[in-house]
Amino acid sequence: MIDTQKFNRREVISKGLSLGLIAGGAAILGKPDFLLAKEKPARIPDLVAVKNGEPDAMFKKAIELMGGMNQFVKKGQTVVVKPNIGFPRVPEVGATTNPLLIKTLIESCYTAGAKRVYVFDNVVTATPGNARNCYKLSGIEEASKAARGIVVPIDDFSYREVKIPGGKKLKTADVHSLILDCDVFINAPVLKHHSSAHLSIAMKNLMGIVKNRMEYHLTGLDQCIADFCMYRKPDLNVVDAYRVLMSHGPSGPSNPRSANVQMKKTLLLSKDIVAIDAAAARIFGKEPEEIDYIRIAHAQKTGNMNLKELKIVTYAM
Amino acid sequence: MNLIRIRKVTSGIILILFILLFLGSEKLSVSLSTFLLPFQGIPALVHTVTQPEALCIIGLIFIVVTTLFFGRVYCSFLCPLGALQDLLIAGSQRFRRQPGHSFSRPLNGLRYSLLALTVATALIGSLSLVSLLDPTSLAGRIFTHFLQPLFVWTYNLGILVLKPLNIYLYPKQTAFVSLSVLAVTVVFFLLMMYLAATRGRLYCNTFCPVGTFLGLLSHISVFHFTLNQKSCSECVRCENMCKAGCIDPQTASIDMSRCVGCFNCLNACSKATIIYQRRRSQTHAHTWSPARRGFILGSVAAAAGFIAFNTNIRTFLVTHAAQANPPVTPPGSLNTKHFTQACTACSLCVSVCPTQVLTPTFMDFGVSGLLQPKMNYEKSFCEYKCNICGKVCPTGAILALSLDEKKLTQIGKAELLKDVCVVFVDHRNCGACGEVCPTHAIRFVDKENILYPEIDKQYCIGCGACQLACPTAPRSIIVHAKPIHKKAEKYFSPETAVEQKTPPDQAFPF
Repeated sequence: MIDTQKFNRREVISKGLSLGLIAGGAAILGKPDFLLAKEKPARIPDLVAVKNGEPDAMFKKAIELMGGMNQFVKKGQTVVVKPNIGFPRVPEVGATTNPLLIKTLIESCYTAGAKRVYVFDNVVTATPGNARNCYKLSGIEEASKAARGIVVPIDDFSYREVKIPGGKKLKTADVHSLILDCDVFINAPVLKHHSSAHLSIAMKNLMGIVKNRMEYHLTGLDQCIADFCMYRKPDLNVVDAYRVLMSHGPSGPSNPRSANVQMKKTLLLSKDIVAIDAAAARIFGKEPEEIDYIRIAHAQKTGNMNLKELKIVTYAM
Repeated sequence: MNLIRIRKVTSGIILILFILLFLGSEKLSVSLSTFLLPFQGIPALVHTVTQPEALCIIGLIFIVVTTLFFGRVYCSFLCPLGALQDLLIAGSQRFRRQPGHSFSRPLNGLRYSLLALTVATALIGSLSLVSLLDPTSLAGRIFTHFLQPLFVWTYNLGILVLKPLNIYLYPKQTAFVSLSVLAVTVVFFLLMMYLAATRGRLYCNTFCPVGTFLGLLSHISVFHFTLNQKSCSECVRCENMCKAGCIDPQTASIDMSRCVGCFNCLNACSKATIIYQRRRSQTHAHTWSPARRGFILGSVAAAAGFIAFNTNIRTFLVTHAAQANPPVTPPGSLNTKHFTQACTACSLCVSVCPTQVLTPTFMDFGVSGLLQPKMNYEKSFCEYKCNICGKVCPTGAILALSLDEKKLTQIGKAELLKDVCVVFVDHRNCGACGEVCPTHAIRFVDKENILYPEIDKQYCIGCGACQLACPTAPRSIIVHAKPIHKKAEKYFSPETAVEQKTPPDQAFPF
């Protein structure tokens, strides 16, 4: 079984010995999954789901199950975290990503050795005043700054045009230069109802890094959302399903008391943006196939929406 | 001399406060406007007529009483345009070889007929002339149309400089000022600059309705400047110092109707020939000229006549204006008539509006409503949780609304054009309008997995967010004005909004 061209004898012996030791030790301690992790260091789960915890605790557990933040962020890298800050709403409405999650995420990036962590979203109705409202009301500005994240407000001149390879409707997009220039791009959306796309999750969240979002609406929302993922997929997707807005999305009511939210207390983690959207759709109570952009992205081979075919690690706290 | 220093300091503070009022943060503008603006002539007068408020009445009484006592000191102490002109005058004198003003004959025909015309047009319901000539409003437009862009551009440039240092600040936005509006401000600014540089305070003594009116009061003011001919050596130093050009050493007369009360002349005379003292009784009869008597009688008669016909003329004007497609007016302006008959186009609301949706128009409200601002939904939208324009408006054209009232004030109504809307035309999801609607007035109907927008008009407050968001050209959702503002229904979610206490179940749906 062992390819002798790749392994010399000494390596084989030491590997075998250590494996044996670990297997033995692990068996004694009753932790077979520890062994599993050592045996296949490259095989991280396709998707991790954690539930019944607070956003910070769930994220810490999830990233641990994913193999640690070091898998995604290396020393000295610049990171962009892209939450959903699209609307001027308080966190209780569930229209924006949980600020505590964003804070924990940024801290985790810095612990992994990130040089700088930027936080950015191109808010809906992108006037400077509205952007300020959104950043402040959502609590994300404060939370990010507490974790030394660099909060970047929108402006008109930081966008560069890129070509979308294989885009059916969306051929080009004006993408924010932060995303174009960063080493690691972490997509951190919130799961919520959406009036015209049914659901807003990870793929929909990427509309917040382009300037020409109105082109999406004009030429076909679902197709464009799927098309953009052919340009760049995030290095990591973190879906916040802690407090899920079940109706009147994407903005939700301005008064949090009339917000139709469900405490799902769930967090998802995946490199596969289609898989994570599919899993989030299930959590919301919809089938992935019902959501047009998930179906299109799956067909365009951006990712896999067939959750059965994936290696999913779940953990209930 | 002490009085001059007090005057310089006061007017300097007023000018700085006004600049802060127009360029400062929202909170600063609101607090400054509450005590600064009731002491401005035209705004206080218009506010008292449209919506009497204690502070405005106090302000008016204060202005009239101080004028009756001290002459037109208002023009040198409180008027922001006066302060601006004094700066220009001081600046221009540095570049002149022979510093000095000279006596000029009063342009009584022009100034009194301008005042009469301004009063007359205001009485029949058009504030156009008031807007154009009022010094407070003109200063406001100069601040908003010139100073604000300069400030914003500099600030945004600063942001660009800081960006490479990883310091990020929110950029600011300038007001949307159309070329025609800008041209009017430029013309008036240049006129004022030219007059200030060459003829001192001629603007105040010819065009300014406040100046002319207070000039009438100054005739009978308790304190007068008088020139003692006996001790005068006709050195004309005082004449050279007089910005208003109202001292004539030849005849040893000082025209109090044109004196702006700067007190410079007191300092100029080495022999104390000019004194500021209680008026002797005989000068009263002296200054009573038949021309002025005619004017005063005429204006009283005209005012009486206009008041008699007032309602009819106003109604005629308003129905006329309502026939055309009126622009949307800001929340708190009650109706188009109230707004156009109270706004003096000072552009303060334009300057403080955080979304810059308020845009000064040239003639959108007709000739009778020059320069008055409208809600410009092609450029921006009205922020749902904002009521700042009503809080700062100096004339009561936009009345202050509580946030709860504002959120239910229908200033317009959205109309969906189904023959243009991409969802109805192409049967594809769009929903840009519904995303941004703050009142749930746009509802989506699911037909074969396509979500079609519908408008529930009873919830729509006409904020324009949908129009701005609509991606089609021309827009498929348009907000029309409600000439009379109404109250919207409050939306109640049909879903029960309860936070379920689901037992922590362990299962995942995959």
